[in-house]
Amino acid sequence: MATSSAVQPFKGNLKKALAGLRRINLDGLRWRVFDAKGQILGRLASQIATVVQGKDKPTYTPYREDGDMCIIINAKDVCVSGRKLTDKLYRWHTGYIGHLKERSLKDQLQKDPTEVIRKAVLRMLPRNKLRDDRDRKLRIFPGSEHPFGDRPLESYVMPPRNVREMRPRARRAVIRAQKKLEQAAASETSRKEKKKSDERSEIQQ
Amino acid sequence: MNKDKIFKLAKGFRGRAKNCIRIARERVEKALQYSYRDRRNKKRDMRSLWIERINAGTRLHGVNYSTFMHGLMKENVQLNRKVLSELSMHEPYSFKALVDISRNAFPGNKIPKEGISA
Repeated sequence: MATSSAVQPFKGNLKKALAGLRRINLDGLRWRVFDAKGQILGRLASQIATVVQGKDKPTYTPYREDGDMCIIINAKDVCVSGRKLTDKLYRWHTGYIGHLKERSLKDQLQKDPTEVIRKAVLRMLPRNKLRDDRDRKLRIFPGSEHPFGDRPLESYVMPPRNVREMRPRARRAVIRAQKKLEQAAASETSRKEKKKSDERSEIQQ
Repeated sequence: MNKDKIFKLAKGFRGRAKNCIRIARERVEKALQYSYRDRRNKKRDMRSLWIERINAGTRLHGVNYSTFMHGLMKENVQLNRKVLSELSMHEPYSFKALVDISRNAFPGNKIPKEGISA
């Protein structure tokens, strides 16, 4: 597979990125690029799930796997609201008694940021025989470079979203934080002015 | 029913259900029950598949299924969902014309409410 010559060569697991491409029947499938930077995790994952299932095409057939290939970049910059960065836990049981392990979102992002989005999307797909094939169509990269630059890529525009108004308590907290910043900036400038005026008075004296 | 008829209906079954009469009789009875039920279910499944396809086709043009059908009902377009789904698959330009008809009849609220984000 030729790496893209325009951008710097793709560092990272090329073997993993190209794994199983031969198994997918690629004629007529588009390559959609999702930019995860600044997107909310769940909302992005639901859009990816609809695209990977092929539910945005009028030729959708439930027994045939027809979704587009999805490339997701900047996976480490995906956002969550609330306290989920520390409080969302991924749990799994190893099979041995008493061994229920858990790991928080923050640690998972440090360890392997692609797994966060992959788990989110996989858990949104219907649990049937096509789920593994759909998993093979997801290519997630933590950074912004990928080895598929030489293919015809289309970037996906997220549908417009109405963001909920902030709750009063959260809003007051944000306003207080803003005021503190302004006061700090104002006090710094006043201190600088005082220093300048002191120096000037010293020089005059 | 005698055994020959049962074995004729049990072709393609798994394991002993195609060979041994006792098991085949049970499985064939179940199969016939399923086919009775599914002759009625097929009509429901096909309609929901047509609706999914129409939904996908209209969303390509920025309209969702509910506003599209409401607009068509207002214009008294009597096309059923089967025909609409076929149009959305094979006749994209005709389908776009239908979407425009529906949009003229019922614009729908396309502009999302501008939420006040801090």
